[in-house]
Amino acid sequence: MSAIRLLAGNDIKRQFAQPFAWILLGLICALLAWQFLIALDAYLRIAPKLGAVANSQGATDLIAIPLLRSLSGLLILIVPLATMQSLAGERRAHTLPLLLAAGIGNLRIVLGKFLGAFMLVALIVLLAVCMPLMLEFGTTLDLGRLVATTLGLLLFGASLTAIGIACSAWTAHPALAAAAALIIGSLLVMLDMGARFQGIDNALINWLSMSTHLEPFFFGLVSSVDIVYFLLVTLLALLLAARRLDSLRTRG
Amino acid sequence: MNQTPPVLSLSNVSRQLSGRAIISDLDLSLDRGEVLGLLGINGAGKSTTLRMISGMLAPSSGSVKLAGLDLYEHPERARRDIGYLPEEPPLYGELNVEEYLRFCARLHGIPRTAINAAVETAIERCELGEMRRRLTSLLSKGFRQRVGLAQAIVHEPALIVLDEPASGLDPIQALRLRELIRALADDHAVVLSTHVLSDVLACCDRVAILHQGRLRHSAVMSELDASSALHVHIERDVDKEAWMRMPMVASAQVIDTRRWRIELSRDASAGDLARAINEAGFGLLELRADNNALQDIFVQIAGETATVKAAA
Repeated sequence: MSAIRLLAGNDIKRQFAQPFAWILLGLICALLAWQFLIALDAYLRIAPKLGAVANSQGATDLIAIPLLRSLSGLLILIVPLATMQSLAGERRAHTLPLLLAAGIGNLRIVLGKFLGAFMLVALIVLLAVCMPLMLEFGTTLDLGRLVATTLGLLLFGASLTAIGIACSAWTAHPALAAAAALIIGSLLVMLDMGARFQGIDNALINWLSMSTHLEPFFFGLVSSVDIVYFLLVTLLALLLAARRLDSLRTRG
Repeated sequence: MNQTPPVLSLSNVSRQLSGRAIISDLDLSLDRGEVLGLLGINGAGKSTTLRMISGMLAPSSGSVKLAGLDLYEHPERARRDIGYLPEEPPLYGELNVEEYLRFCARLHGIPRTAINAAVETAIERCELGEMRRRLTSLLSKGFRQRVGLAQAIVHEPALIVLDEPASGLDPIQALRLRELIRALADDHAVVLSTHVLSDVLACCDRVAILHQGRLRHSAVMSELDASSALHVHIERDVDKEAWMRMPMVASAQVIDTRRWRIELSRDASAGDLARAINEAGFGLLELRADNNALQDIFVQIAGETATVKAAA
């Protein structure tokens, strides 16, 4: 465990020693803040009318969830950028031998890399959640639903991070790793789009799609099936990454 | 009798990459206090051998043992017992020298309480004191190499593996590095790869010449020195017959008419030859050990491919 923490800590330190992570965080915060303020402005305009409607939607439905739903789309683009340097960058900078020759095992290297990249992703999610959470000072939010959505986004982010790490292990070119992770992540999210247009919503293809498992979290539904799905995707991707490191040792 | 196993032993190690044999049936062993030089031209298989020794690459067959234990059955041994400097020093450019060495010390399992002392020792041995706060990406080639070496010794491993450590260094830096490697050999076993003969002559106790993935020659340097010829510089022009008349001369090879490479017969000494040269009135100007024995062997082995290609 100490080796995993060490690798994760080293990656986080290195990420924040460069402008990339700061710029990425700054741009995402700016973009989400802009969306948040527009949604807040629209909400304030219609709020007096909403009071007259029975069972009308509140700030959670009209501000918080749309903002976090928009973040889920952003994560598909951002996470590959956060993971592309992970192992591909190590190979490109000739630093991977240091880790491979340190006798700490391939899976622990991969887990350390995953944890290092996921911390940045989790920070992005938590910063985004902080924005609607501030509304709690002025209105009443459905906190249970916000917690469920945050959990869903973290699980979704973890899966995307693991896919990014696996892609980063398979190539020495960070840009290629990012492109592959973006394509695989997008495919997994949109996998059942065609089926849904056809009216199929309970088939294997729906189950395989990430959006099927992410959507319930936005409604405050936390199901063990959805949690297990994201954990399985994460685990499978990390095992593939470890397998790749193994093949680097055995096949050169 | 209970005999301590060597720090490193390779037996029948072979390695194929993409179906091509890179290393075939390699046997090597190394004890603490020894420096082994792996000598070979580019592509001879030196780096692949070192990657296998460092635990980075698994052999296709055969075994790499560290103090008698198979490295691939006990990979955790590598963490404490091997220090590896690849051809390109594995430096994180975002970290300064001290931060980087701290990371390496922890990576190699040094307890937190001992990290400060270990890093200080490595910095001191590699003379990195003035650079300790400098980002590794801003270091010159020589200092990058020194930091790479420092990460390989920071955890005081039993075995230090260095891939072309003097590559790209200026002559002064290369000299300092050789001195450092010699000093490290007091407490560690060191294996280094190089294609530079002077590196081997300057700091190795033993040499193994690799060519086309096979071990072609293995020798102890002191024996090579003892068996090497003498370089003689004289005042007069003489012919080969004049040398061969001396009983202690086994063979004489002309360099120019006043410089000769003389091989002594068994039991004869350089002093005997010096006396004979004076008695013959050749006018001795210089008599020294000729260090070309290793070069001759190396050139002969490395030249085989060229000869075969030329003949084909």
